[in-house]
Amino acid sequence: MNLVTEKEVIFDLDVTSQKEALQVLASIAFNQGMVDNAKTFFEELCKREKEGTTGFGNGIAIPHARHTCVKKAGILFIRSRHALEWNAIDGEPVKACVCLIAPDDKNDFHLKALSKFARKLIHEEFVEVLQTAGLEEVIKEINDILQ
Amino acid sequence: MSKQLKIVSVTNCPAGIAHTYMVAEAFEKRARELGHEIHVETQGASGVENQLTAQQISDADYVILAVGKGITDSDRSRFAGKKVIDIKISDALKEAKTIFEHLEERATQYGGSANTNVKLGSQKGNQGNIMTHLMSGISAALPFVIGGGILVAIANIMVQWGFAYTSFEDGGASFAWILESIGYLGFKFMIPIMGGYIAYSIADKPGLAPAFIITYFANDNKMLGTESGAGFLGAIFFGLAIGYFVKWIKHYNYPNTVKSLMNLTVIPAVTILIFGLLTFYVVGPFLGGLMTNMLSFLNSVPPEYKLPLAFLIGAMLAFDMGGPVNKIAWFFCFSLLAEKIYTWYAIVGVVASVPPVAAGIAALLKPKLFSKEEHDMSYSAIIVGATVATEPAIPYAMADPLPMISANTIAGGVTGVLTIMLGIERLAPGIGVFDPLLGLMTPGWAFYVAYIFGVTLNIILIFLFKGMRIKHTEKKAQKIK
Repeated sequence: MNLVTEKEVIFDLDVTSQKEALQVLASIAFNQGMVDNAKTFFEELCKREKEGTTGFGNGIAIPHARHTCVKKAGILFIRSRHALEWNAIDGEPVKACVCLIAPDDKNDFHLKALSKFARKLIHEEFVEVLQTAGLEEVIKEINDILQ
Repeated sequence: MSKQLKIVSVTNCPAGIAHTYMVAEAFEKRARELGHEIHVETQGASGVENQLTAQQISDADYVILAVGKGITDSDRSRFAGKKVIDIKISDALKEAKTIFEHLEERATQYGGSANTNVKLGSQKGNQGNIMTHLMSGISAALPFVIGGGILVAIANIMVQWGFAYTSFEDGGASFAWILESIGYLGFKFMIPIMGGYIAYSIADKPGLAPAFIITYFANDNKMLGTESGAGFLGAIFFGLAIGYFVKWIKHYNYPNTVKSLMNLTVIPAVTILIFGLLTFYVVGPFLGGLMTNMLSFLNSVPPEYKLPLAFLIGAMLAFDMGGPVNKIAWFFCFSLLAEKIYTWYAIVGVVASVPPVAAGIAALLKPKLFSKEEHDMSYSAIIVGATVATEPAIPYAMADPLPMISANTIAGGVTGVLTIMLGIERLAPGIGVFDPLLGLMTPGWAFYVAYIFGVTLNIILIFLFKGMRIKHTEKKAQKIK
């Protein structure tokens, strides 16, 4: 799986709603060649939110989708300038999103990396890094897990 | 409060990439903090990981099922008799911190009682592991036998009512022929599906394709150039052999960069190659040799040993239900038709319908000796078994091989003797127990005498042998404790 760079980790985004955040994530994924259709992927992310919120507390959400429109597995990370209403499990607004992107295949290698990353999100130290650390450190921390 | 608990858990979610693992991690973290022992099985997009062992489940005080895409009955049946807490995966992250303090209030007893390990006739004791693999092969194969069998039954009944039965070669495909051909696909694929899923259960996805292909190959007499394929015993053999073989290759720690190449390309290709050649050069000739030798032996039996021979033929027919031993006996009887000897062919007609009907009735009479699935399929086993084919008896035999096959074989042998003694003759295959009414089996009364006797004996033997087997495993289990 590709490691993240400044192109996949973006801070201080000027988005004001969940919908905008998901749209931005979908277009980053498209621009980085991870999905072949930004609109389809955006709809998949929305669908997942309808099934149940991905806001898992402490101001972080993990919108994700596994779909045939995905060409390359990957991870995106964004921080928003504004607090976003996300219907999170603790009711708090969301300020950062980790987006997991998985193709609809059985490639064990990608899926293992994503699952390892998902497990990491349970640990408060890691979440704190995602929320507060500088760009370089966040990129390094994420890549440490993916490697 | 500070009591240390043993907990097992299963997590899954619709996409299988995020919450399955987050919840698993959250449970493991919290349980560790509280000093509980926990094992979490994740059922994510890449398949089942950290699969719970029978031992872990049997030791567990509580079972937490945090599922977002549901859990099948057969999967859930692993937890029969346990205290189970059901929780939605979407709530699980929120509750991970608190759930361990409220296990007792939230738990409901699932199925059977906690101290009878006799509930599921087969999945227990120290043979537990192999049995779980066989069971997953069986439950995958069931709909194939039953679904296909019912189509074949309808086709056969239509033919007896005078509908045309013609294939492409002789005047165009008739409706009954089409139905039957589709239905037979169920019988044909039942064997590879069974082998494939046994291996899948052992080695996960990389085991499925090789075992499916090889079991199909080993059962295809045309490809092997023999009279008979390896049948369901072949499915058990190759399912287990390939499953453990793949598991063994997989267990080396390959660098992540080559792992997917291994699973997707190298393992299937190498396994298919090795087992394919093995099947062609070893199993095929073995089956061929077995056939020739057994046939020449059967043909050399002098006429005064008619009754022992009848016992042998009946026993062979019932032994592996469509497998090589059955085929040898069938071929012996069938070839005598050319000499206008109809009595031996009658054994085929009587014995073929005995094992599935006996197993079905036995499961209805004493459900405690059988698993829920075996009990649920009894009516279809009886209907398909009585009219078309022996195959519905296979799942019962696989679920508990020694008692079931012994009971079938002995009852088959005795029924064979009875058939010869009563002088029953069979002219052509028809629709099982209705053959006498169609005049295909004469005398009709004698057929029913032999048949009812055979089924009754078979049921009694099933009860007897299964009872003995259960007592035996119970004793073993107690010794271990």
